Amino acid sequence: MKATEGTTYRMLQSNLGRVSTRLEELRTQGATGIKLNQPSDDPSSIRPVLTTRTQIMHTDRYLETMGVTLDKMQATDGHLEHVENILQRVKEISINAINGIMSPQDMTIFADEVGNMKQELLDAANAMVDGKYIFSGYAENTKPFVRNPNYNPDQTVPVPPPYDETDSTTWPYLYMGTPNPTELEITPGEMLEANLTGNDLFLGVSNSNWIDSTTTAPGQPESGRVDIFSILERTEEALRAGNIDDPLGPGGGLNVKLDELEVAADQGRRLRSQLGNRATRVDAAMLHQKDVLTDLKQILSRYQDADAIETFNAIVQQETAFQAALSITSKVSKISILDYF
Amino acid sequence: MGGLFTALNAGKTSLSVNQKSIEIIGNNISNVNTEGYSRQSAELTPYPSMNFGGFFIGQGVLVSDVSRDHDVFVTNMLQEKSIEFGLQDGQTRALSELERVFPIGEENLSTEVNRFFDSWQELSANPSGLVERDIVIQRGELLAKKFNTTTDDLNTIKENINDSIISKIDSVNSQIQEIADLNERIFTIEIQGQTANSARDRRDMLAKELASSLGVQTYYDSKGMMAVQLPGGLPLVQGLIPMELEGVQNGSDLDLVLHTGGVTRTIGLNNLGGEFEGLVGIRDVFIPSVQDDLDRLAYEIIESVNLAHGGNPTLANPGGGPGGSGLDSSTGIDFFTPANPLPPPPASDPWKDAARNMSVAITDSYQVAAAQVPVPPATVAPGDNRNALIISNIGENYLIDGIDNFGAYYGKLTARIGIESSQNQLALGGAEDAMIQLQNLRDGLAGVSLDEEMINLIQYQRGFESSAKFLTTIDEMMGALIELRR
Repeated sequence: MKATEGTTYRMLQSNLGRVSTRLEELRTQGATGIKLNQPSDDPSSIRPVLTTRTQIMHTDRYLETMGVTLDKMQATDGHLEHVENILQRVKEISINAINGIMSPQDMTIFADEVGNMKQELLDAANAMVDGKYIFSGYAENTKPFVRNPNYNPDQTVPVPPPYDETDSTTWPYLYMGTPNPTELEITPGEMLEANLTGNDLFLGVSNSNWIDSTTTAPGQPESGRVDIFSILERTEEALRAGNIDDPLGPGGGLNVKLDELEVAADQGRRLRSQLGNRATRVDAAMLHQKDVLTDLKQILSRYQDADAIETFNAIVQQETAFQAALSITSKVSKISILDYF
Repeated sequence: MGGLFTALNAGKTSLSVNQKSIEIIGNNISNVNTEGYSRQSAELTPYPSMNFGGFFIGQGVLVSDVSRDHDVFVTNMLQEKSIEFGLQDGQTRALSELERVFPIGEENLSTEVNRFFDSWQELSANPSGLVERDIVIQRGELLAKKFNTTTDDLNTIKENINDSIISKIDSVNSQIQEIADLNERIFTIEIQGQTANSARDRRDMLAKELASSLGVQTYYDSKGMMAVQLPGGLPLVQGLIPMELEGVQNGSDLDLVLHTGGVTRTIGLNNLGGEFEGLVGIRDVFIPSVQDDLDRLAYEIIESVNLAHGGNPTLANPGGGPGGSGLDSSTGIDFFTPANPLPPPPASDPWKDAARNMSVAITDSYQVAAAQVPVPPATVAPGDNRNALIISNIGENYLIDGIDNFGAYYGKLTARIGIESSQNQLALGGAEDAMIQLQNLRDGLAGVSLDEEMINLIQYQRGFESSAKFLTTIDEMMGALIELRR
């Protein structure tokens, strides 16, 4: 069996072709830094790569949502602090009125101040962030608290129905929002309430009990909860009437009101600390998710990134092989029997 | 003098035979790079010896035949391997196109699906925001468009395959015709006792090319003519009669038919081999299964989103679902156009054409159902994001057949294409190597080696020179004889 020119050149050509194709692949890998360019490069790692990318996108979204949640909670907290200050001030006024020897003009001045405090509370309760009311549940375009036109502080007048602490339709301020706190998904499957509803915070009616402003909420008053607006309204009435200790008189007596103010402040503080706990949870979750993100990116990189040094070495190796093949090819063509004729 | 004239004659034969041999060497050298050429050599036999005065004396030399170096075994092996090579080669281009349609880089179908459900998650943080609602509709449209264009791309690949087939049919037909002509030529020549070397070479070459394109089998019939048939037995060349292949357009499909003496037969995948089998296999088997998976994915997305969005009853869920409510308190509105077009597809495949027809049904951002359905007479509150949260979780939690979520399903589809493609590349590499080895083997047995020819050239040249010298000597001897009587 002989080796013809055809054989020799065919072998050289196919080898050169093979080496240069491999070189091309390695150069592409080196230039893009990615070794998974086509499905056929590594079919078994396609699914983990796609799943990891999806998870990374979700984690980014959760971090974004958590940022929004913290913003909302921050805004709510600011107003809660204001509410606490208002209640503090009203309590000071009441104590002053009870302890000191006050003339009717002094009591009127106190009553006016409490009236202003009540207005401030109303403003805090109707606060807006980013054009939306923050204390009205889902009805973010509806002002949450409005004056009850049928409010009747006088127990002796039967119509409209006089103030009754068990009947929410007789309270001085009505809540026009919905009893739904905004839930946001901060980690896969975990929902967090990002704000407080007006009925929960200001009226002392829990979300499960509140129906709407025209229906009496059942189970009132709930233990340890009060309607803050009612307290301020009736404190003002008591101050105007100078009623310190008559529970059946106007405003129900300042002594009683003092106790109720304490309950109100507790209500505010309790909800504020609940909100604070949730904010801490969100902070911790944010840190955790950032770590998760780093891990995911590492996993993704392991599947799809080409090791720069390995690729470089492989390129150098292939280039050497290519050079050798080229030089042999040219040498072969130099030796021929025709030179010896 | 008789002996001298006889010797002269013998010398004359030597001259012409050596010349002939050098001609043949010249032919070999000219054809050193011709593909499929078998090295020819002269068969030299001595003239029959004649009886001179009791002695048998030879009368010179003659060329009895010009034969070619030929190995039947290697030729047949080469033909077999060409079929395999053709098959893999035909699939390569289509598969690499498929890989381009289903990329796994940063931008692919799975990314669009993720972005769509991500836009719902973004909406849940600000359910009344008109910008976020518009983004949800936009992302839905982009997703639908991506499905549409992927289906279009698959159809384009099918059309390209059809174009390839059409362009090859003409050359295949002319090769078939040529084999029939060569059959006749070889028969005519060889009946006269000569060997038709270059015609046989050419016929072997054509058989190899047809094997590579169509996967044909060849055999020699009783008259020594080459009969060519497709896998499955349909004849392409019988004796002197060539058949004809034709590509018939059938709507958007291309069918292959064979005209055999008045009868027209459709050729299916089991009657094809080689390159045609590769192309038709991808077009008729692999791509439809990919399209089916794509349709399934589109269908599941459409159904699951619609069920949570509008809650209308569908083929798969006749009871409907709870659905959600838009900002304008609208309910029961489908997000995507429902996937069961008219006329109704067969019940076993309700997702046929779902990817091609996928589109977003709503245009008014107020109708994006981010909220839960309100209990009348209440209307939808703008901050209600409960349905948006539900829909955003469909992307991860909804399982197709209880096994894969959308991303995993797309991953399986792409991995299938990847495996097919990488196996094809391996097989192609293997077939190429085998072909090269066989061709080298054939060259070793039947090819032209310049070294060998050069040495033979020297041999016959010297033969010629010595014959010429011999003739000169005889001439001098004759001259001497004639000089005897001045």
